[in-house]
Amino acid sequence: MADISPIKSVRVDALVALRIVKHATGVYPTTVYGSLLGMEVDGVLQITNAFPFPTSSEGDDSSSSALTPKNKGVIWYQNEMIKCLREVNIDANNVGWYQSTALGNFINSNFIENQAHYQSQMNERTVALVYDAMRSAQGGLALRAYRLTSQFITAYRENKFTLDALIKHKLTYKDILQELPLTLYNSHLATSLLHQLSIPPQPPSILPVSASSLLNPPTSSQPNFPLNVNFNALDLTIDPILEKSCDLLLESIDAHNTEANNMAYYQRALAREQTKIATWQTKRKAENAVRAAQKLPPLPEDEYTKLFKLPTEPSRLDSLLASRQIKQYAGQVDGFTATSSAKLFALNGGIPRF
Amino acid sequence: MDRESFIHLTKPAIAGSATASPLQVVICAQALFAILDHSLRRSPDQERVIGTLLGVRSEDGTEIEIRNCFAVGHNESQEQVEVDMDYHKQMYNLHLKANPKEVLVGWYATSPELNTFSALIQNFYASNGDGTYPHPAVHLTVSSNPGKDISCRTYISSSVGITPDRAADSCLFVPVPFEIKYAETERNALESLSLGRTSLDRQVNNIVDIQSLEVGIVELLDMINRAGNYVSQVIAGEATPSVAIGQSLLNTLNLAPKIDGMELEKLFNTHLQDVLLVSYLANTIQTQIDLSNKLATTTSIAAQPQKTDHKRQQRERD
Repeated sequence: MADISPIKSVRVDALVALRIVKHATGVYPTTVYGSLLGMEVDGVLQITNAFPFPTSSEGDDSSSSALTPKNKGVIWYQNEMIKCLREVNIDANNVGWYQSTALGNFINSNFIENQAHYQSQMNERTVALVYDAMRSAQGGLALRAYRLTSQFITAYRENKFTLDALIKHKLTYKDILQELPLTLYNSHLATSLLHQLSIPPQPPSILPVSASSLLNPPTSSQPNFPLNVNFNALDLTIDPILEKSCDLLLESIDAHNTEANNMAYYQRALAREQTKIATWQTKRKAENAVRAAQKLPPLPEDEYTKLFKLPTEPSRLDSLLASRQIKQYAGQVDGFTATSSAKLFALNGGIPRF
Repeated sequence: MDRESFIHLTKPAIAGSATASPLQVVICAQALFAILDHSLRRSPDQERVIGTLLGVRSEDGTEIEIRNCFAVGHNESQEQVEVDMDYHKQMYNLHLKANPKEVLVGWYATSPELNTFSALIQNFYASNGDGTYPHPAVHLTVSSNPGKDISCRTYISSSVGITPDRAADSCLFVPVPFEIKYAETERNALESLSLGRTSLDRQVNNIVDIQSLEVGIVELLDMINRAGNYVSQVIAGEATPSVAIGQSLLNTLNLAPKIDGMELEKLFNTHLQDVLLVSYLANTIQTQIDLSNKLATTTSIAAQPQKTDHKRQQRERD
């Protein structure tokens, strides 16, 4: 199952990263959506610009405050915006969309629908960027690029997620999404700006007068903090995040459980119907044997298809998504505990004993 | 950031006049990056490009936060300047749909120069109707000359000229102070981005978790070393001692909790065990899910046994 994706990696401009961060934090914790612009060069998708989708206007009764990329109004907005941006030399190709999330709870049918819409409708070369606002608060920039795999797209087009279809496409829950390596890119000017912002402030020529003046420096003397002073990653309050992750994990296990129960119910119903059919068939056979003995024409043996109706198999899509979501959470918890246990050990070594 | 020194005096508010000058301009890093991006995308024959600044104004109008911007096409020749006003209006409306809170606050240009055309454009942006009237419009210049520092200036304007004709095409640019601000999360993003500033291809692989922890620890060690160096220099008599710095260092050292060794060991171990347990369970769940999916696809009666597994798992978590 060769999965040849037309895109090998994703390169995100500084501007795009900052736009997404700003948009997502502005209305946190609401999920936000937006569009990505850029172009593809030799298998590398260069994302050079982004703009947010409009929030639904008042009077709109939709429950979500942000509209999803499939909405008609959003498509209109997106086209208008791209038309405008083309005039000022911005790469006017829509190359995907972005979404914000809290602790990776983005894998649901909505996400799949949107990305499938992009990947089949527009052109093949589109990605979904997912920005995790909650994890970014712990240091780093949790921005990831995802695509649906080609197997999944084929299965999705047929809109059949029965066991047979899954086996035919060799589709497991691990093959729904494909993560693409993501690099951040700074233009020359952006590099220059970053250098300037990172210059540590000059030490003041006059030594501070008192301890309190050190803690509350007058704003005028020290206008900008250098950018590289950031100790969010050293934050020790890990419990809330772990707790939230576990809650989410349990939730998706519940979802998976429901799906498993549905499946079990279907299996039982199927088995029951099948036994009924089998008994009916043997009965008909016996009848026919009797009729044959009496030299009467045999009764048709395939009448059971009209008499009994086999239950329809439930779609496995939800179960697949739930599994993928669980995998996402579990991987996340794993990564997070790795850092926090390192921090804990460091703390244990660092505190003086009395 | 290159700064020009100037005295900024606010004239006392006059009753009845709504045009209080903004005292302070705050620029979000994102807007700066957008301006630089626009500057890179200008056509080769263009000296400078301009665009509209969007942002939030504080209630009394004394502080303006520039949050966003968009490019506006314009043509400049020796005699005249043409700004695509329809385009500006259209884009502004589109932006308002996505961000209803961000309103027009001014405009930017990517050259430090102020000329007659600047005055014309400034008067348009500050005008009644489409412009920012009654609030003053902010003009931000960002120089993007190669080989020089990127320098920003912010101005507001006062009208000069005796006749209305003269006043329409001239104005006095008054510099106002500004500062560049990053929100907490923006700071994280910038930190990741700035890791790429020293690499030749100007790219950086996105880092999360353990790498960002490493970066943080290295920085912390660096700062501790700096403080240590300073202290030893003072002891050796090479640096000027300061009571204030000494006091604050002592205060920081006093923050270390006084805690019994055994107690700490116990606390540490229980916490660590919790963390490890969660990690272990997460891994088990992952295996379980893997198993459940494999079973579901291979045999058709697999749904029953795996169900009980999950129940057990859940009980364990709770």
